[in-house]
Amino acid sequence: MKDMNIPDLKDLILRSLDNDSDPGKTSAEIEEAGVTYKFSEGFHEKVLDTIFSAGDTVVRKIEFVRNLNSVFSRIALTGVAAIVLLMISIFVIQGSLSFDSFLGLGDSYDESIVYLLTGN
Amino acid sequence: MIMESYRQKSENELVKASLDGDKQAFSEIVNRYQNMVARTVKGMLGDSVFSEDIGQDVFIRLFYSISDFRGEAKLSTYIQKIAINLTLNEIKRRKRFFSTFSQKGNNEMYEFEVADYETEEKKEAAELVSKALLSLDPKFRVIVAMRMLQGYSTKETAEILDLPLGTVLSRLSRAQEQMKGILKKL
Repeated sequence: MKDMNIPDLKDLILRSLDNDSDPGKTSAEIEEAGVTYKFSEGFHEKVLDTIFSAGDTVVRKIEFVRNLNSVFSRIALTGVAAIVLLMISIFVIQGSLSFDSFLGLGDSYDESIVYLLTGN
Repeated sequence: MIMESYRQKSENELVKASLDGDKQAFSEIVNRYQNMVARTVKGMLGDSVFSEDIGQDVFIRLFYSISDFRGEAKLSTYIQKIAINLTLNEIKRRKRFFSTFSQKGNNEMYEFEVADYETEEKKEAAELVSKALLSLDPKFRVIVAMRMLQGYSTKETAEILDLPLGTVLSRLSRAQEQMKGILKKL
């Protein structure tokens, strides 16, 4: 194909962004004008070498991150459970859930929470 | 070398075989989609060794997440999403780095290493498109790269980027406006 001059290429770039244009056709024309992107020679082999030779190390890293994630989610769930228990206990003791009682500023006495949790 | 029989396989067959540990199948996936990834990554980051690293990361990420691919969308769409996410992360990383440690302008965050071309005109064309793309705002650049370099329709672009169709249309129109200004200066 004949090389495209710069003004024509600029026109083609803008035309390719028209919503009415055919993107398949304009992208092919841009490629024919010389706009091609390729990885260097040996890219394919480099990718496969990285994956299959360093496979064990990468798998171990991924396992570690997954384990860490599950530890974090367990800690978060425990925290949520503790907050829910606290709110239930406040509600049982005070009969309502006010912001003050949630912050420990209510007029309940401490033993009632111990009684609720231990039964003694 | 990839065996001829793998070239005939469908993408679902290749994914299944890769999950079963077939290296040749994954090798064929890399072979089939490397140019598509190159267009996205190099189009958005410029043609440099760093783009090659991001390209490698795309396939490494694909290898370790291929079990998450459920076959509801095309494999190319899945790979494209990984490529776009990694590329946008790299753009953000460079922006942070350059705003902290350098006084360089937006365009200088990217490198041009234009490869060998058949003619001087083709080289000039490649340089013009690279410079124009890299001057665009990243949120417009991704839309333009999908349409101009990959040939995706607005609907396909919206699907890949997980954006509403209206958002893609409006960004495309704003990208065209920005591109007009950029091309006038080049």
